[in-house]
Amino acid sequence: MATRGSGYFKTSYEADLGLVDTRLRRVTLAIFFLVLLVLPRFASGFVLDLVSQAAFAAIGALALNVLTGLAGQISLGHAGFLAAGAFTTASLVERGVVSPLVTLPAAALVGGVLGFVVGIPSLRLKGLYLALGTLAMHHVVLYMAGEMQARAGGNTGFTIPAPRLAGFVVKGSVTWYYVLVALAALVLVLVVNLQRSRAGRAWMAIRDRDVAAASVGIDVARYKLSAFVWSSVVTALAGALFAYHRGFVSVEAFGFFVAVEYVAMIIIGGLGSALGAVLGAAFVTLLPYAIDGLVAGLGPDAAQYYVFPVKFGAFGLLMALFLLFEPLGLVGIWRRIRNWFVLWPFRHRPLRASS
Amino acid sequence: MAQALATTVVVASLYALLAAGYVLVYRASRVLNLAQGDLLTLGGYFLFATAATFPGAPALALPLAAALSALTGVLVYVALMRPMAGHPIFAAVLVTVTLGILLRAAIVFVFTDRTRHPLQQLGLTNPPRPLVGGAVVSTFDLVMVGAAVVLFAALLVFLKVSPLGIRMRAAGERALLASQRGINFHGVFALSWALAAFAGGLAGMIYSSNVRLEPSLGILGLRAFAVALVGGLDSLGGVIPAALLVAAVEVASVRYGNALLSDVSPFVCLLVMLLIRPWGMFGTKEELERV
Amino acid sequence: MRGRILIGAAGVLGLVAAHTARAQAPEPYRIGMTVAITGPFSAGYAPTYEAYRTYFKRINDAGGINGHPVAITYEDDRGEPQRAAAAAKKLTDGALLLINASISPTYKPVMTEAEATKTPLLFGGGVCPREAFPPATPLIFCTTSFGSKWDSRMALGFIKEQSAGKKVKVGFAAQDIPLSRVELEFAEQHAKELGMDTIPVVVVPGSAADFTPFAQNLKEAGADWVFSWAPWGVEIGVFEALNRIGWKGSYILYGHQPAQDELTRLKAPNLHALTGNAMFIENLPIHAEITNLVKGQTNHPAHYMAEGWTSAMVLDAGLRKCGWPCSREKLAQALSSVSVDTKGLRGGPIEMTADNHYRKATYYKVYRWDTARSAIVSVGGWSKLDIK
Repeated sequence: MATRGSGYFKTSYEADLGLVDTRLRRVTLAIFFLVLLVLPRFASGFVLDLVSQAAFAAIGALALNVLTGLAGQISLGHAGFLAAGAFTTASLVERGVVSPLVTLPAAALVGGVLGFVVGIPSLRLKGLYLALGTLAMHHVVLYMAGEMQARAGGNTGFTIPAPRLAGFVVKGSVTWYYVLVALAALVLVLVVNLQRSRAGRAWMAIRDRDVAAASVGIDVARYKLSAFVWSSVVTALAGALFAYHRGFVSVEAFGFFVAVEYVAMIIIGGLGSALGAVLGAAFVTLLPYAIDGLVAGLGPDAAQYYVFPVKFGAFGLLMALFLLFEPLGLVGIWRRIRNWFVLWPFRHRPLRASS
Repeated sequence: MAQALATTVVVASLYALLAAGYVLVYRASRVLNLAQGDLLTLGGYFLFATAATFPGAPALALPLAAALSALTGVLVYVALMRPMAGHPIFAAVLVTVTLGILLRAAIVFVFTDRTRHPLQQLGLTNPPRPLVGGAVVSTFDLVMVGAAVVLFAALLVFLKVSPLGIRMRAAGERALLASQRGINFHGVFALSWALAAFAGGLAGMIYSSNVRLEPSLGILGLRAFAVALVGGLDSLGGVIPAALLVAAVEVASVRYGNALLSDVSPFVCLLVMLLIRPWGMFGTKEELERV
Repeated sequence: MRGRILIGAAGVLGLVAAHTARAQAPEPYRIGMTVAITGPFSAGYAPTYEAYRTYFKRINDAGGINGHPVAITYEDDRGEPQRAAAAAKKLTDGALLLINASISPTYKPVMTEAEATKTPLLFGGGVCPREAFPPATPLIFCTTSFGSKWDSRMALGFIKEQSAGKKVKVGFAAQDIPLSRVELEFAEQHAKELGMDTIPVVVVPGSAADFTPFAQNLKEAGADWVFSWAPWGVEIGVFEALNRIGWKGSYILYGHQPAQDELTRLKAPNLHALTGNAMFIENLPIHAEITNLVKGQTNHPAHYMAEGWTSAMVLDAGLRKCGWPCSREKLAQALSSVSVDTKGLRGGPIEMTADNHYRKATYYKVYRWDTARSAIVSVGGWSKLDIK
């Protein structure tokens, strides 16, 4: 019970640095990995599509979590970074450059530059004012994207052909499933490692007490900017992926509500936790479909008129409930459940152990 | 030229009414109420509902809709904002975002996306009124300007002179100290939310009688918050010059620039202000570090 | 023990019965529709959804077409191209035909998807794209009453007629979507050809909160007439703003679904609605039939249904002609030779040919509010334009 899976007994430095420390965690991870690998054999295209969408959302949520959860820089402009990546891809495709080997780095570069620009106000502003600054930036970015769309695409958006990598075309739900899940796993590993690295610790110090962090010798300006740049590069790449996955880019897909959705993902999931970002992303992505099923079950005919406001309202309600009653998010719930099982029949952790 | 001036004043009045709501709530609880635009929409729909229930009786429908808006403000404080006391400010702001989502969902659920015109059922008309200099505005344009002037005058008198207003200002500055002196600050905060919702609802009622009513009007709220920030989030007096400035920029960008540019011009003003003087034209400097 | 065997046997029998019952139910004609049921533009497109639903419910209740029911899957795209793209991808799976009843920015992704999967695409509520006009693209069809170029020719002809020899200055109000802008630029050209003075096209963003600045531009340029061809919100918004600032000219717009209600609400004698559908105030037998059928079934009133009803009639005729079994190619062929009597909903029949997926001839009427009679009246009768 309490002695199972404590994982505190390490015999070598390698063991200490390992990402997955206990045997139970290793086994669970292996099973999960196996399930993900063979899922396409059993699941329909629709389910694969759902998982792909959740994986894609997880990439964006992890990037936002690094910026807001780890580094404490509140950003409401996430949709703007996604748009930057997507529209860079679109404009390159428009000019005949179709290969992802060129468009993805270009999207990353544009995202990085934009992140740097958006990060500069963060050196002066904090908290609410920073959030408002990022919101204003979001509108400016969308305006530029809208202008570009009006000029080039004639305001109907850009069509993106399926990406080709060394003769291999990424098309169809199974291929995209593997690509997106693999990329999400990669970003997850990156973020978890970042959390344990020097930069991650610096970010957390800045988040908690930036004056104290500066007095300990952390270059606050450099790390704040690097948080913005790191987050925006990953988000812009996600935006480029979005363009390829959907095959169509148009500005109204990046409205303020998208930024709210991503913030909801990390809040519902649990601020500052990588697992939280993934859980939150899965939850927010799957919620509309759950409601679809519920509404269709209750009243199929009149449903269509009410589906949208019900989905929209349920999302808002859930976000409000989590903000009001469960500030630690899904991760908080998960930890409580896990602790209940691990500690049973005891109720509380012994005073010596850390959580 | 006179017409451009007239349009600027009308647009500024709309922004001023909304921004007053932002400032009132911010001064009381340091929260930026990002649902102010949806409170405007809600006010418009309250008017539509009361006008449909009591057709041809504007003397009954208008005050009833205004009262409902104020009541909504109180409910919002009691149900959503009061439990968020003690949580970080950003979480409280996110709660207001979710409030906006909920309001919008409820409106679309009850009224659908169709464009509505409450004026029809009220039995009033909106004839054009020529002004000096060749400008022409509509009757409800003038009502909007009048409402903004009256509301601001009343608010400034209320806050400076009346005992309740002074208590509001005290609770806004130092809530703990105020409560120790016997000021019921929950009541005072609820009142500030009621006033903010009333101001937004009033703007919504006039706008929907003047132009049209549809669920997506909340977008006006985002432009007005740029006004609130430019003037200074805790300065009620700063709202008026800020509203005139932002409205002038917007009208000028339509006449001499691009149509899309007019949509983004309030945010450009906001960005410029944030970069050079984040606490706004008339705000207090220490507000910046408070968060 | 015996009870359990009996229950098991009953269960098995029930399953077998259900299976055979399902197997005996006739295979339906599968159609997909991407439509703006909700969203800011829904007033013009959701009625198509409702009209189709009501029309085909009646058909299915009476036994279907050629003995087979018509199963239409509806996807709400809210007028957003992104959602329409996703909807098109989802719907083309197994569908004989795809219908698009939404705003024109959704056309590009839906047409790409239909082309890629070789699915016939019917535009049943949104403006007719150029691809349906002769020479028509094989898989694109359009039943909508309004189409580019023809509407402008009719409107400008009407303005010229009404101005009775005087030289007039015409202004144009477009929405910032390509079809509207391109159309009004064409109209400006055409107006010059007809000998009228013109003002450059004023472009209005669809999400504008206040149309007054745009109306101001038109008023100050001295427009006697203004022609607007865009989704309803912009068309009427610019007119109301012009009225508010005391403009004294005349306005003509394309009369979408809300036109009848709005003409009654505004009571403005200078507002003219050009439309291809007969307004329900004429109270033809088909109008009464539709009104009775949709009673209590739809969110929008009966007089919004004309556009969708006519489109459903054309699909009905196409499916009947196709027979059973029907395939995508057969259905496309059937639609390319369809001839539908609109029973007065339009000015004449809808006849398509292999080269013309719009119609051989299109008909228009202009309505306005008559202050003396306190009612909507039509200015003249049906005008016919041959489509070549």
